[in-house]
Amino acid sequence: MTKQLTLTIDGVQVTVPEGTLVVDAAKMAGIDIPVFCYHPKMEPAGNCRMCLVEVGRPVIDRATGQAVMENGQPKIQFMPKLETACTNTVSEGMVVLTQTEKVTEGRKGTLEFLLTSHPLDCPICDKGGECPLQNLTVEHGPGKSRFLYDEKQHLAKHVPLGELIWLDRERCIQCARCIRFQDEIVGEAVLGFEARGRMTQIISLSEPGFDSVFSGNTSDICPVGALTTADFRFGARPWELKASASICSQCPVGCNTTFNTRREAKAGGEIVIKRVMPRQNEEVNEIWMCDKGRFAYHYAESAQRLVKPTVRQAKASWTDAFDLVTQTFEASKSDVVVLASGRLSNEDLFNLKSLADGLGGKSILYTDMGGGNLTAQVGVGQGTDLGKLGKGDTILVVASDLYEEAPVWYLRVKQAADRGATLIVANSRHTKLERFARYAIRYANGDEVKTVADLQGDSKIAQEFANAQNAVVFFGSDGLGLNGSANLAAACAKLLQDTKHVGKANNGLIGVWQRANDQGAWEMGFRPEADLASAFKNKIVYIVGADPAGDDPALALALKGARFIVVQDILETLTTHMADVVLPAQAYTEREGTYTSGERRVQRFYAAVPVHGEAKADFAIAGEIGRRLGLNTENGSAMVTFDRLAASVKDFAGLDTNKLAEVKPQWPIVGRGDLYYGGTTYENKQGLGVQLSTAAERGEAVSLPEVRAESALRPREDQLLAVPVTKLYDRGQTVASTELLTQRIGEPTVSLHPETAKRLGVAAGGRVSLAFNGLSAEALVKIDDTISAGVVLVPRSMGLAVREPVSVQVLGLAEAKVS
Amino acid sequence: MRVIEPVWELGRGLARTFASLFEKPVTVQYPEEKREVRPRFRGRHVLKRYENGLEKCIGCSLCAAACPADAIFVEASENTDENRFSPGERYASTYEINMLRCIYCGFCEDACPTEAIVLGDNYELSFTDRRQAIYPKEMLLEPVPDAAMTTPRKVEPGVYQRSVPEMKDPQD
Amino acid sequence: MAHVLLRHRDIPNLNQLDVYQKNGGFEAFQKAVTAMKPNEVTDVVKASGLRGRGGAGFPTGMKWSFIDNKNWPHYVVANADESEPGTFKDREIMESNPFQFLEGLALASYAVGANAAYIYLRGEFWQVAALLDEKIADMEKAGLLGEKLFGSDYSLKIYTHLGAGAYICGEETALLESIEGKRGQPRIRPPFPPAYGLYGKPTIVNNVETFTNVPLILAYGAEWYKSMGTPDSAGVKIFSLSGRVKKPGNYELPFGTTFRELVYNYGGGILDDRPVKAIMPAGASSSLIVVDDKALDTPMDYASVRTLGADLGSASVIVIDDTVSIDWVINKTIHFFKHESCGKCTPCREGNHWMLHLTERIHSGEGSQNDVSLLLNVAKQMQGKCLCALGEFATMAVVTGIERFPQDFQKAVKA
Repeated sequence: MTKQLTLTIDGVQVTVPEGTLVVDAAKMAGIDIPVFCYHPKMEPAGNCRMCLVEVGRPVIDRATGQAVMENGQPKIQFMPKLETACTNTVSEGMVVLTQTEKVTEGRKGTLEFLLTSHPLDCPICDKGGECPLQNLTVEHGPGKSRFLYDEKQHLAKHVPLGELIWLDRERCIQCARCIRFQDEIVGEAVLGFEARGRMTQIISLSEPGFDSVFSGNTSDICPVGALTTADFRFGARPWELKASASICSQCPVGCNTTFNTRREAKAGGEIVIKRVMPRQNEEVNEIWMCDKGRFAYHYAESAQRLVKPTVRQAKASWTDAFDLVTQTFEASKSDVVVLASGRLSNEDLFNLKSLADGLGGKSILYTDMGGGNLTAQVGVGQGTDLGKLGKGDTILVVASDLYEEAPVWYLRVKQAADRGATLIVANSRHTKLERFARYAIRYANGDEVKTVADLQGDSKIAQEFANAQNAVVFFGSDGLGLNGSANLAAACAKLLQDTKHVGKANNGLIGVWQRANDQGAWEMGFRPEADLASAFKNKIVYIVGADPAGDDPALALALKGARFIVVQDILETLTTHMADVVLPAQAYTEREGTYTSGERRVQRFYAAVPVHGEAKADFAIAGEIGRRLGLNTENGSAMVTFDRLAASVKDFAGLDTNKLAEVKPQWPIVGRGDLYYGGTTYENKQGLGVQLSTAAERGEAVSLPEVRAESALRPREDQLLAVPVTKLYDRGQTVASTELLTQRIGEPTVSLHPETAKRLGVAAGGRVSLAFNGLSAEALVKIDDTISAGVVLVPRSMGLAVREPVSVQVLGLAEAKVS
Repeated sequence: MRVIEPVWELGRGLARTFASLFEKPVTVQYPEEKREVRPRFRGRHVLKRYENGLEKCIGCSLCAAACPADAIFVEASENTDENRFSPGERYASTYEINMLRCIYCGFCEDACPTEAIVLGDNYELSFTDRRQAIYPKEMLLEPVPDAAMTTPRKVEPGVYQRSVPEMKDPQD
Repeated sequence: MAHVLLRHRDIPNLNQLDVYQKNGGFEAFQKAVTAMKPNEVTDVVKASGLRGRGGAGFPTGMKWSFIDNKNWPHYVVANADESEPGTFKDREIMESNPFQFLEGLALASYAVGANAAYIYLRGEFWQVAALLDEKIADMEKAGLLGEKLFGSDYSLKIYTHLGAGAYICGEETALLESIEGKRGQPRIRPPFPPAYGLYGKPTIVNNVETFTNVPLILAYGAEWYKSMGTPDSAGVKIFSLSGRVKKPGNYELPFGTTFRELVYNYGGGILDDRPVKAIMPAGASSSLIVVDDKALDTPMDYASVRTLGADLGSASVIVIDDTVSIDWVINKTIHFFKHESCGKCTPCREGNHWMLHLTERIHSGEGSQNDVSLLLNVAKQMQGKCLCALGEFATMAVVTGIERFPQDFQKAVKA
C-alpha cells in the first residue's frame, strides 16, 4: 500500500497516494487545472506551461524536522514563481492555489503566446467544437490579441504524415502528445520533432509515413486540430454528431467504441456513421483503439450489401425465402449443417445452435483455430485486467503476433512489460512484441508444443513462470492451423493448470481468435471441423456470416457437393453466388447484440444506423426459421434472446442485459467538459460488460485433453512448408471495402528466408508463384531472416488459401507480372 | 335644424370619399408592380461570392448551429487547386435551407465568419410541394457575372490558402 | 601575478604532457588517488570556496557532495559547450592548457566515484575535440587514465562528445539529453543531475573553467585559493572582455577587480576614447548595467555586481559605448535567442518569436511607443514561466534595456 498524503487545493483537502501529480490530485478533488501537453496516460513533459499554479509547502525546521507553526497553523512558504502542476508531485501539507490573480495572468499569458502562432481558423477546423485550445481560450484566454496578424507565420496546412493522419503545421502547439504517445505507450517512435524554436515541426520518421496501427489515437489526444484523420476530415462538426455505443467487431479484444452518426446527403439523407471513436473501458481498451477498428467500419455501407433475399439467385420475398428454407430443413432435419463464424453475436449463435440442435443437425464453427473449449475451463478469471499486471507477474505470448492480430492487446501487454511484468514471447519468427520481452524464444516450426512443455522444466524462465504472482498465456494460430493450435492450447492449459495459474483473476488462458466473437461461438457450443468437405457432402448447408468459397477454392469445390445451400450474410460473396437461398443480414451497426471477447467479457453493442434494405438480424432470421419448424426460438428482440441464452448456457447464468450495462467510476476521468485532460475519447455510460467465470474458478472439475507430442507439420529438407500468418489489414470482407486502407492492405506478400530467396533467385519485392493443394497463385516477396529456411509465411485472407501448414512449390518469377 | 345636421354629416363623409379618389393610391399592383423593401428587410438567403467569383461559404456549419429552427443543412468537403470552390481548404459540398422551417431571424448571417450568407430582399417564395421548400446550394448561390468565374474552377496552385482571406487585427 | 588558469601564458608549451608534468602536473591527481579518500577531495574543494564558473555560481564542493551515493554508476560531465555570445575562455584553456582541465576533470571524477567522464563540446569546436582526443590518448599512454590508476583500484576513462551547435545544449539537462543521443531539450527539474543525470544516473556537470581550478586547489590547498578574490567569491576568474574596447581578450583576474581596471587597465580603454554607456557582464543573457563612476568602481564579484542589478554569470564582459543604441543591442540579443530557443516550452518559443518582430520593428524605425511598452510587457509575461533559464535570459537585456535606457527607444520609434 502506497503512502497516502493530504494536501489542500483551493481550500479543499485531498488525500491521494504518494507520487500523484498535483494536476491529477486536483482532478480527483473535482478541481480542473487546464493542461495541453499533460495527459494522464503519459509521463509529464512540462512543455506547454498551461498548468501553472501557485504551490506552497510547509516550512520545516531543519533542527527538529517538524513543521514550523504560525498562529496554530503550519507556516506555508510559497514558491516565488508559478509551478507546473503536471510535473510536481504532491507532498504532505502542500497548499495549491489555482484561482489566484497570478495564476489567472499566467494562463492568460500562455494562451496569448500560443495564439500568436495559431491560425485561428476554427470555422474550418475539424476540432472546432471539441477543441481544448478553443475551450480554454474562451475560459482563460485574453479577449483579443496584441500580436499583429500580418506577422503570423504561415506554414503548410495539408501535410500527410501517413495516408491516415494529416498534419496542419499552423495549428500545432508543439505539446508532443502524439510523439510521446508513439514513444511511451505504443513503443514505436515513428513521429518526432524537426528543427527548433518557432520552427519546431512534427514529422514522420518512418517509411511509409506514420507506420503504426495506433495512429488514429493521436488525433484523439491532440489538443488542437493539428492532427486529423483522413477518414473524418471535414466530415461533420462535432456538435452535429450523435453518439451510439458499440463494440468493435474486428478482433477478439472487444474494444468499446462509439459511433458518431449524422445524416448524409450522399446517402440520400440517411443516417450514416461519420467516425468511430474509442469509449473508455480501462479493463479492455483503456481509451485507445487501433486503426483497423477506427477506419474499417465502411464495409457495412458497401455497395456489395445484400438488401433482399434471393431464391436461386432471383430476388424473392422473405416469405418465399423462409418457406423454401423451412420446407428444405423440415424434409431433411438431421442433414442440416449450420456453418457459422465468430463474426456473429452471441444471440445469433445461440439461435443458430438451438436451430441445429432442434433439427438434430450439426453446428460447425468456421475457423482455423482451436482451443475454445479450454478457455472456458482455464481461461482468465473474473476481474482480470491486463492493466493491473506488473512486477512479479508473467505473460506468455505463444504463436501469436499480437500487433497484427489484436493490436490493443499488444499495447496492453507491452505496457504490462513496461511496468515490470515478465514478458515471454515465443514464436517461430520475429514479432513486434519481442522487443519488450524479457525472454524471446524462437522455436522451429513444429516445436510449439515442446516449447510450452519446456516451460515446466527447471530453466530460469520456467521457474519465473511457475513462481509468478499472476500468469496469463496468450496463444494464437501464427504458423498453425486448426489442429496445431488446438494442441498448443492444450499444452498451454496444462502449463497453467500445473503451475496453479488458473481459476483466479489475472490468471489463465486467452485465445487470440481470428474473429471477434469466436469465444462466444465456443460458449454457444459451436465446434470447428477439420474436414469441411465431407461435412458438406450431400448435406443441407446453412452458412452464416462466412465466405468459405471466397476464402478457399477447395471449399468452393466442397460446397458443390452439398445438396442445398442457404447463405446468410451481409455482403455479396462467392459463397452467396453458389447459394440456393440468400438471406440478407443486418450489420452489427444496425442492430443490438452482445459479443464475448477473448478475455470472456460479454459486452453489449447497440444499433447506430438504420437497416439496409430488407435485411434482418441474424438471430431473428434463425429464430424465425426455428419458429416455423416448431421450435420455441425468439425472432424479435436480441435482448430477449440474450435472456434465454443466459437461462440455458451455464457460464452465462445470472447475466442479464442490465448487468452488462452497468458502469463504475473509471480513472482517468475522460470525455466530460474538459477534453483537454484526456482527449476526445468517450466516457463509458453504456456498460463495461461482465466477465464470465471459468470452470476452474467455480471449483468444477477441469478436464483437459491429452497434449499430443506431435504437433504441426515440420518443414522437410526437400520441400518448403507454407505456414499461415495473420495480417492486420487483409482482404477480408470486413476490411477490404474501406478504400482508405487499400495502401496498407497491399499486394499478397509472402515472407522467405534470405537463403531460400537466393536459391529461388528472387529478391525482396520480386515475384514468386506458389503451388499447393492443387492450386496456384502469385505473390510478392518479403525477406525475413528470422524465419526458418524451410518455411514460407503466407498471410491469411490475402487470396492465398493456406488454412493449415502445407507443403508448397515455389518458383521465382523473373518478370514482374501484373496479377 | 335637426334635419340639416345628418345631411351635412352625410355630405361631409361623402366629400371625404370623393376627395380620396384624387389621392395617390396606396395599393401596389403586385405582381406587376413590386414594392421596394426596407434596408433591413430579411428575405430569402443568398450565398455570396468574392469579386473573383469564389464562394464565400467555407462550409463551417456555424449557420446551421445558430439556426433556431434547424432549417439549414451543411456538408463540407475539401477544395483542391484543380477544383476550387472557395478560398482555403474547406467548402460546402451540400448546402440546403428548408424555407418552410426558416423563421427569417437572421442568426445565420450573424454566425457566418465570412459573411457568406446574407438574407436578401426576395420574399417571393411559393411551393407546390414540401420538397420544393428545400433550397439547395445552386438556388441559393449568387450567380456569376462571367462564366469563367464560376465554381468549381482550376486556380493557380498555392494562391488561395486561407479560408478567411482578409483577417485583420481587431480594432477598438 | 602568475596565472592560475591561463598558466600557458607563463609557461611555454604547457599543452605538452611532459612540460605539464615537469611543472607539477598530475601530482595532485596522483596524490588524491593514492593518498586521499574521495570525500576528502570534495572537502578541500568545498573549503576553497570555489563556485561554478558556468554562470550560476553554485558552490562546486557542495554540488559534488549532493551526488546520490545509493545509485551507481556515477558520471562527470564537463560542459564545454561555451556558446554564450561574448564567452571565449574555455576554448583558450582547452587549446592551450588542456592538461590542467583534464586533471581537474579527473579529480572531480575521483571525488564523486565516477569511472567515466564526458566532455561535451559544441559542434563548432570539432578541432578542439580532436586536440583533446590527442591529449586524452597521451594521458592514457602515460598511465594517467585507464584501469587501476597509480596502482589503486580506481579506473577512469574520459570521452569527448560533440554537439551539433545549439546554445540550449549549454543548459546542463539539455546537454545530458544530447549526450544520450536525444533532442537537445532541457529536462524537467527536479530531479537535478546529481540525483538523476546522464542515462538516469547521478551526474556532476561543471564548466571547463571550474574543473581547471581544481588541480591547483588540491596542490596548494584551500587556504591559498581563498586568499585570492573576495570572501564571497574566492579565487580567480577569467574575464572575457569584448565590445568597444581597444584590447578585447581573456583576462585572468582575482574576483573583486573593478570594471574600471578591466576596461581601462587591461582593455586599454574604449575605441576612440568615447565614454562607456553600458556593460553586459554575462554575455547576451545578461542585464544591461548603466555605467557611471560608481558602476565602474564596482568590484567584479557575484555579490557586488548584483547591486548593479545584474549577474556576473560567466563574466563575459561586453562593453557598449555611446555610439551604440540599446535598441540595436536588444534586437541582436533577441535575434540570437529566437534562433536558439529549443521550442519545447511555450513562453520561450512564442515569446522570442514575438519579441523579434517587435525589436525588428522598433529598430527599423517602424515601431511606436506602444510597441516598446508591448515589448516590455511580453518580456515580463515570459519571466518566471519558462521551463529552463534560456527563456529568462532572453528577457534580461530587453527588460533592463527598456527600463534603464528609455531615451534610446524614444529616439528609435516614430514620433
